[in-house]
Amino acid sequence: MGFSSNWDGTLSPNDFNISARALCEKWKVTYPVFPPWAWVPCPRPFGVTSRQVEGYLSLEGFCCPKSIEGEIDNGSSSKEEATCPTEEEAVDDATLVQRNDRELHLYDLHIVRSSSYRVPALYFRGYNCDGQPLALDDIKKDLPYHSSKILKDSRWTFMTQEEHPYLNRPWYALHPCGTSDWMKLLFDNEASVTENEEIVQQYLLSWLSVVGQVVGLRTPLEVFSKKHNAMFCSSV
Amino acid sequence: MAEKKKVKLQFVLFDSLVDEGFWHRLSSLKLDTLGIDQSPINITGFYAPCSHALNSNHMTLLAESLPPELGEQSSLEAPIVCGNRNRCPVPGVLYNTNTLESFRALDKQTLLNSEANKIWEDIRSGRAVEDSSLLSRFLLISFADLKKWSFNYRFAFPALKLDPPATLIDLRPASVYFNLEEAESLSAACNEWRNSSLTADVPFFLVSITESLATIRPLRDWEACQGDHTKILFGFYDPCHLPNYPGWPLRNLLALICSRWKLEKVHFLCYRERYGWADMKLSLVGEALVSVSQGWSDAQSIPNAVGWEQNSRCITLASSMDPTRLAISAADLNLKLMRWRALPSLNLNVVSSIKCLLLGAGTLGCQVARMLMAWGVRKITLVDSGRVAMSNPLRQSLYTFDDCLNGGEMKSKAAVKSLKQIFPAVEAEGVVMAIPMPGHPVLTQEEDGVLQDCRLLQDLIASHDAIFLLTDTRESRWLPSLFCANTNKITITAALGFDSYVVMRHGAGPLCSPPVGNESPDALSVSLDDLSTVDRGRLGCYFCNDVVAPIDSTSNRTLDQQCTVTRPGLAPIASSLAVELLMGVLHHPDGIHAPGEIATSCSGSSEQPLGILPHQIRGSLSQFSQMTLLGHASSSCTACCSTVVSEYRKRGMDFVLQAINHPTYLEDLTGLTELMKSASAFELSLDNVTDDDEDDAFI
Repeated sequence: MGFSSNWDGTLSPNDFNISARALCEKWKVTYPVFPPWAWVPCPRPFGVTSRQVEGYLSLEGFCCPKSIEGEIDNGSSSKEEATCPTEEEAVDDATLVQRNDRELHLYDLHIVRSSSYRVPALYFRGYNCDGQPLALDDIKKDLPYHSSKILKDSRWTFMTQEEHPYLNRPWYALHPCGTSDWMKLLFDNEASVTENEEIVQQYLLSWLSVVGQVVGLRTPLEVFSKKHNAMFCSSV
Repeated sequence: MAEKKKVKLQFVLFDSLVDEGFWHRLSSLKLDTLGIDQSPINITGFYAPCSHALNSNHMTLLAESLPPELGEQSSLEAPIVCGNRNRCPVPGVLYNTNTLESFRALDKQTLLNSEANKIWEDIRSGRAVEDSSLLSRFLLISFADLKKWSFNYRFAFPALKLDPPATLIDLRPASVYFNLEEAESLSAACNEWRNSSLTADVPFFLVSITESLATIRPLRDWEACQGDHTKILFGFYDPCHLPNYPGWPLRNLLALICSRWKLEKVHFLCYRERYGWADMKLSLVGEALVSVSQGWSDAQSIPNAVGWEQNSRCITLASSMDPTRLAISAADLNLKLMRWRALPSLNLNVVSSIKCLLLGAGTLGCQVARMLMAWGVRKITLVDSGRVAMSNPLRQSLYTFDDCLNGGEMKSKAAVKSLKQIFPAVEAEGVVMAIPMPGHPVLTQEEDGVLQDCRLLQDLIASHDAIFLLTDTRESRWLPSLFCANTNKITITAALGFDSYVVMRHGAGPLCSPPVGNESPDALSVSLDDLSTVDRGRLGCYFCNDVVAPIDSTSNRTLDQQCTVTRPGLAPIASSLAVELLMGVLHHPDGIHAPGEIATSCSGSSEQPLGILPHQIRGSLSQFSQMTLLGHASSSCTACCSTVVSEYRKRGMDFVLQAINHPTYLEDLTGLTELMKSASAFELSLDNVTDDDEDDAFI
């Protein structure tokens, strides 16, 4: 695809893959505090003959900062409600049990290319440390104040619940309609809009810097080269 | 902890986390493959070194922990699982029971012992030295309630019990234990081990340090590592984050060391990471005293085992597995999308709580019900006395061929069934009832039944918020119009000719007080002003423009006139308009009292987000045209004028019966008889008066 002045803000499957790789690399190097983004390849649906490798980006098990340190609890002198007190518990005094900290919330984020909108879409879900999925209301409580504000005010980012295109389970998603519009705006400000490669390299990073905020993922400025700092700032 | 004092070595039990995907796959496995088979299933758990200073790593079960689903591979053998640095595979076994009782009744100690025995066998045979991932195993018992989408489960992480227990001499951060040079060398070696695809998921290893140079080697190299100036530590991926305790995998490692190499003093490394790299501050080095347990030399003996998690747990996945709930949330989110983008003022609560009564479940009724659901209306009652006939399904969108068989189902019942199939959360009800009609005189013996129907209709209207008149005759709309006018309910009428339609909302009832300051007669409302019969301000009902009372309109008609023969596209158009009109009323601040508006060419003339709120919409398919009209309530209307409503209030069912049996009674009562007399006296053409009513020639 050629990026000319009438580029529509979308991303081809191939460019998505390239851009995803660029995001992984830069993320790992400049922002090791977060878990890394990993590319998850997906088998092509039956009958599709394209040579394109399909897949999505995944960042899993990202702890909500609100979680607190798990307390230690000696298993033999358990204060917690024991389910079957009559039963001989198979623990000994060499066993320590961490009190299950149900306050710990984990998040999985996936970046999937929407083939109908031809732009990336952010899918996410939250769950307790035992795997129980969080309800939307719980998730909203986890989000920093500014993101609920963004969700409320912004015309570009709103949450829906959709079937994950590869996992076929309901995930929360930020609806991708409108994405191409603001991505086009974002890169229109750039003088170097004609540099195709540059846009592909930068696309997902720039995109994530906007949508990531909604789910409390702040993209560190260092991820962007100096050249693009200006653009990043103008986008938020 | 750093003092050289003997204390009992304690280990922190694994924490477990079961991904939603695991339960999803287990459910389909149970439904499609296993059936009631309760035999154990080999599964794979995953863990990794702790990588967070505040949180331990979990033993995690994912969808891929289970055998692949049908179609991919039919056997239920151990899945072929590839590990990676963040997913070190751990062999496990799942006992999924068919009932909660059998889940509770499982003999936990026996199950635990049988898994522990596998570990013991692997230690004795040396397999665990070759493949150290066999040192950790786990056991999962569960009961999957697939009707409620809830899962009871409990983990065990079998550990061989040392007897006497190990004692701890020293435990401190690796960064303290090692000198800087050693620590750096060890970090580098660990990172290399962790980043090689061959060793990244090997959770137990040897650390040998010779002259500050650390190397990492597999357990089987133990003999080869021995040397005079070599310090050897037993390393393991430690999922635990606590600074004073080692994690669970160390237990079976110590058992291996004891049983195989007969050591008495063991140095171990609890390997932990930060941001994916070896972290010597979080990693611990410990020194423990162990002694070979009595009887371990006896080949037949089996060590005692521990390792059940304290409590069984329950997880509920209805929100992501119950299809009804999924349909509801999908529908809700669709509407919310509309609100967020185009219609911020859309009041979804009003829409979802409103109760709609649909009189008639034919072409119009079916389509109106569907449109209401599309808007998020959840409470719908359908009234019809007919059965589904063979000719119906093609035009009446809620019915199928099957509904016509065996004489046909009752329409109202079939429609409800269909609505629930479309959207299980709809609260739909069907009432089989014929609406009593003027001009269809009632025999004395039928009187009770008819009166009962009248009361039922009265109650239905009273208990609903919006009433749609969708029957196929004019006269069947009279009684509901009267009841609606009496109770001041939102009433929408849709009616069809062959290629034309009218959709209108009735005005408020005559005996209710209009809202203050709402007397704004429209300049365009010219229809009957000159006859000074207009009840000013109040919008008319379906009968307001008539100068005859409703009579039997179906007798003496040919077949094509009796059936609802209209252009097929008409009913969906009119039905959609009827529902959109209701939405307009619901979102108008004045509600039922909202004045009728007329479409103008300039767009955006309305203050309301949904646009203008007309009184009547008439359209014709022959011209592909549509217009909005306004007609005020007539003071001699046979259904909604104050005379009629007052009379009904006074005499109740007697009045209704009289009206049904003697249509001219209504004309007399309302002064229509008088009006017509005077009209002929002035030689006015009746045609002119009823001109805009010609489309109302309903069959």
